[in-house]
Amino acid sequence: MSITAKRIIILVVIIAVAFCLGRLAVRAVMNMLLGGTLFGGNFL
Amino acid sequence: MSSNRKEKKVRAVPVGIGILIFILAFGVGVVSKFAIQPSWAKEYSVKWSDEVGTLKSDLPYGDGEANKFDLYLPKDDSKDSYGLVVYLHAGGFTSGDKVGDRDMLAWLCSKGYVAAGINYTLRTDDHPEASVLSQSNEIKAAIPIVIEAAEKAGYHIDKMTMAGGSAGHCLAMIYTYRDGAEAPVPVVFTFGAVGPSCFYQEDWGIYGLDQNDEACAGMFSVMAGEEITEQDIRDGSYHEKVKPISAMEWISSNPVPSVIAYGKCDKVQPYLGSLRLKAALEENNVDFRYYELPHSGHGLQNDNAIQREWMETVEEYLDKELS
Repeated sequence: MSITAKRIIILVVIIAVAFCLGRLAVRAVMNMLLGGTLFGGNFL
Repeated sequence: MSSNRKEKKVRAVPVGIGILIFILAFGVGVVSKFAIQPSWAKEYSVKWSDEVGTLKSDLPYGDGEANKFDLYLPKDDSKDSYGLVVYLHAGGFTSGDKVGDRDMLAWLCSKGYVAAGINYTLRTDDHPEASVLSQSNEIKAAIPIVIEAAEKAGYHIDKMTMAGGSAGHCLAMIYTYRDGAEAPVPVVFTFGAVGPSCFYQEDWGIYGLDQNDEACAGMFSVMAGEEITEQDIRDGSYHEKVKPISAMEWISSNPVPSVIAYGKCDKVQPYLGSLRLKAALEENNVDFRYYELPHSGHGLQNDNAIQREWMETVEEYLDKELS
């Protein structure tokens, strides 16, 4: 396998992992923030 | 020496490109989570137009500035009677507006129901006296006037559904179970998501209330609209004071079919309370469907398949109970 092919595979893996991490980060943050506050909750 | 530096530089270039691509792909992942909505969600959201029906906005039902409702009347006005669906807006009892639910109300109207979005006095600096109790009483006062307005427009209402999201779901459940038996027309069904249905100190750990009697007394007082002391919390007498705003405690008064959804990771309203609600619905032999979204918080945004199933069930029950 040529060095260029290896680099392309690595980049594809990086893109896939980063894309998934980006979506997971939103899920985690949304779970913490969504919904506003209830009375006196002082949550946000 | 100079050849080593050159080699390091040559290696640094692909590493730099890798980091840059990682950041870009991460950003695309973040944006995609917001931008790409599941295709099924469009089925439950309709853009309002004259083709759908007639919209009467900001009809008054009381003296308060917020005491207004919007009435969505379906295009087909030839039926002898119509089901009314009231959908109450979210916003933690402190914010939000009926306009925020326009697409949802338009969808309900497009299905042939008379739909109504009702505003209620929010707890703000201008209205520090507002509470869940006062809001629930405003909704109770509004319902006969909403029905009267529909009748006046030529749409005879013979039954109704109460629904809402979060704070709106809380108020919808209070009306259904606490006040439903006295409603001008039978409340035959309720649906909604993530609304608090009961107030047990031990459930409210998400705000630290389970560990702090003073904070619990303060928050429950604001919600219940009457003073609850630390002593009330300690001796359990607060249960009677929060009963008027605890929908779960009133299920037996009007045990109608209910379709509800809650997120297991909810940090805004206690998940433990939703388990109590489920148990109370079972105990009262209510025809109910309970959807638990294991990866979602208050926004129910991480379990698309279950959310879809929930909405399909809502539609199924609307067809069954209200048509």
